[in-house]
Amino acid sequence: MKRQKKSVLVLVALVLVFVTVMTACGKPGANSDSSSPSGSSGEAGSKENITLRMTVWGSPEEVAAYKFGIKRFEEKFPNIKVDLQHIAADYDTKLTTMVAGNDVPDIAMMESASIAFPLAEQGKFYNLQEFLDKDEFINVDSLVPNIIYSLEPGNVIGIGPGPESFGLFYNEDIFKDAGIEPPPSKLSEAWTWDEFIEVAKKLTVDSKGRTADDPNFDPKNIKQYGVSVSTWWGVYSNFIYSNGGDFVSEDGKSFALNQPAAVEALQKISDMMNVHHVSPSPVQAKNIPATNVALQTKKVAMAIDGQWATAGLAQSNFNFNVGVMPVLKEPVTTVVCGMFSMFKSTKHPEEAWELMKALIDPEASIEMITSGTWMPSYKNWYTDSDMLAKWTENLDARPSGYNDAIVEVILTKGHQTPTGYVKNFNKIMDIVNPALDKVWLGQQTAQEAMDSIAAKAQEQVQGRRDIK
Amino acid sequence: MRKGLWYGLLFTAPAILGFVIFTLGPMIASLVLSLTDFNVFKDQTSFVGFSNYARLFSGEDELFYQSLGVTFYFVILRVPAVIIISFAIALLLNMNVKGRSIFRTIIYLPSIVPAIASAMIWMWLMNPDLGLLNSMLSWLHLPTSNWLYAEGSVIPSVVLTTLWGIGSTVIIFLAGLSGIPQSYYEAIEVDGGGWYSKLRQITIPMVTPTLFFNTIMTIIGSFQVFNEAYILTQGGPNNRSLFYVFYLWRTGFRDTEMGYASALAWILFIIIMVFTYIIFRTSKSWVYYEGGERP
Repeated sequence: MKRQKKSVLVLVALVLVFVTVMTACGKPGANSDSSSPSGSSGEAGSKENITLRMTVWGSPEEVAAYKFGIKRFEEKFPNIKVDLQHIAADYDTKLTTMVAGNDVPDIAMMESASIAFPLAEQGKFYNLQEFLDKDEFINVDSLVPNIIYSLEPGNVIGIGPGPESFGLFYNEDIFKDAGIEPPPSKLSEAWTWDEFIEVAKKLTVDSKGRTADDPNFDPKNIKQYGVSVSTWWGVYSNFIYSNGGDFVSEDGKSFALNQPAAVEALQKISDMMNVHHVSPSPVQAKNIPATNVALQTKKVAMAIDGQWATAGLAQSNFNFNVGVMPVLKEPVTTVVCGMFSMFKSTKHPEEAWELMKALIDPEASIEMITSGTWMPSYKNWYTDSDMLAKWTENLDARPSGYNDAIVEVILTKGHQTPTGYVKNFNKIMDIVNPALDKVWLGQQTAQEAMDSIAAKAQEQVQGRRDIK
Repeated sequence: MRKGLWYGLLFTAPAILGFVIFTLGPMIASLVLSLTDFNVFKDQTSFVGFSNYARLFSGEDELFYQSLGVTFYFVILRVPAVIIISFAIALLLNMNVKGRSIFRTIIYLPSIVPAIASAMIWMWLMNPDLGLLNSMLSWLHLPTSNWLYAEGSVIPSVVLTTLWGIGSTVIIFLAGLSGIPQSYYEAIEVDGGGWYSKLRQITIPMVTPTLFFNTIMTIIGSFQVFNEAYILTQGGPNNRSLFYVFYLWRTGFRDTEMGYASALAWILFIIIMVFTYIIFRTSKSWVYYEGGERP
């Protein structure tokens, strides 16, 4: 336990050595392909046999979906073989090492919050804009908004399969028993924050059966919370955006979490935990299981979570549904998703593009979509009612509120994830997160906490990717 | 004689080669890298002299000082705890009681549990609302704690989790204890001394070489604490468990600043060297070797 990390660097070098050894003798197949004078100019139809290498992470179900997509692709292009490498753990470390060893795949699944942008800044990725410009089948308008990641305007580094948005999931029986109207699913009827808190109070129950609006309510012994809200930026960003705030200013020049709109949203979330006691604090949240179990066991009545929660909910045997999140000023959902990126070093960009398309195609990942984990990337799967029916009707993962609360919202009210446009996001959050810990615990107000680190955070602000 | 030398080299070759290729080589490489701005993703790497080190000590990198402080606190808490507790356990296990080997096995058992598994168990035990520790405390009407999830208690809690795995330290103490000749104790008995005299006059002086070794190894191991931050706390809350090696790893692998991370690694190496040197220097005055002075 303590001896194995003699020095992290020893390990690094060890891995590096291994990678070089592996690349030197390990993949004659790929080498012989690339030595042939082919590729970059060629049509995808050029009939020589090639191998594309691809790395992904993910659960066994996700990998199965990729394999299914790859099988379809290989049937369509019999001369192309896809070597899928599933890296289950420490994906970024492994990929970093591959980059250091000059042994990168043709296509890699990437995550906007980690090493995708650092790699792109060093020019390691193909600009997919050129493909999007000339492709007959998919282009910027045929994809769901906010799933294209750009280093700067016009330089697309990745396209996401399986977009995700956020919603307000709830246990229908709790509402029925309490005689309370459940959360609306239509955007036009969305709760205001105060309405939301009122309902949450009525549904927060202590061990003696008193609710949070009872003066004798005991916040130390809560049996059922009104709502669970994670303190992950993915969740609270929804409310910052909804309140008109942002992580950095519009011109990208200044840190904006200490500005009134963002501070108000953060404070409201903190108040839910520390003033109204309707939501578990980060410490109490350690006892709250995953959304599906928490709702089923009535530990919480409502949960703000990503739509991927429907996969787990579909397998839990209780009446769940989904409504739109409460609105501060504007209805908004943050859209998060991974991305496929193409390494510039690929010898077969055209073929790699075809593979990428094949994997983004919702038909390929239909299992992932109908099971609830993903949503389709193609816009016509939302707008065309036949297509929409394919993945939203008569499925356990798609309750009655789903079309209004999720499908409609992601299409019209989506906001890109901050990791997609805030430069240096990780370093900024390294400074913000410790300060937010104090806000969530109620030790400081959001204004105090954000002001206290604003100067330090400002030093890390480097601009936005969505403006020139 | 000559033949003996060759055999010696032959049989130690795996260890020597392993050390040179997998330890010494990478160390030299990292020393060189620490003088560059090496970033895994950048194609260009240039020599920057000592600017990585300058950046560390300029006060610009607050997390460096934070992680250093956190790690020292951890070492100061953990080293005495490990040494005292494992010595006490070794003394108990050295007694001639029934089922001694079973107790020895039980004490060593946690050391072979994978780090992740034991970390998960500790997370459950230390859960503020449902965990066994708080349940026991409130049953005894004692104040409960937020353990890993509060700024003040996170480091002591992490120390507590590591105490679980002191089996190997205990084993080394046991080896030291069993090397003490029985006749010394008999001599004390003849002189009419009790258990305290035995402990004070025989056991402790005789076991000082083992104590010396264990102290150094525990200090080194404690400075290199990583798993606990990686699995249990992610450096939180409010960076209060941002251990040095965890910060180093984050700099090198998440932020891909390998040059800077190498400089961090060398600073840690120097710190550990200094501590080891100090203990070696003081050892003359407190470590007793039966054969007289250490050669």
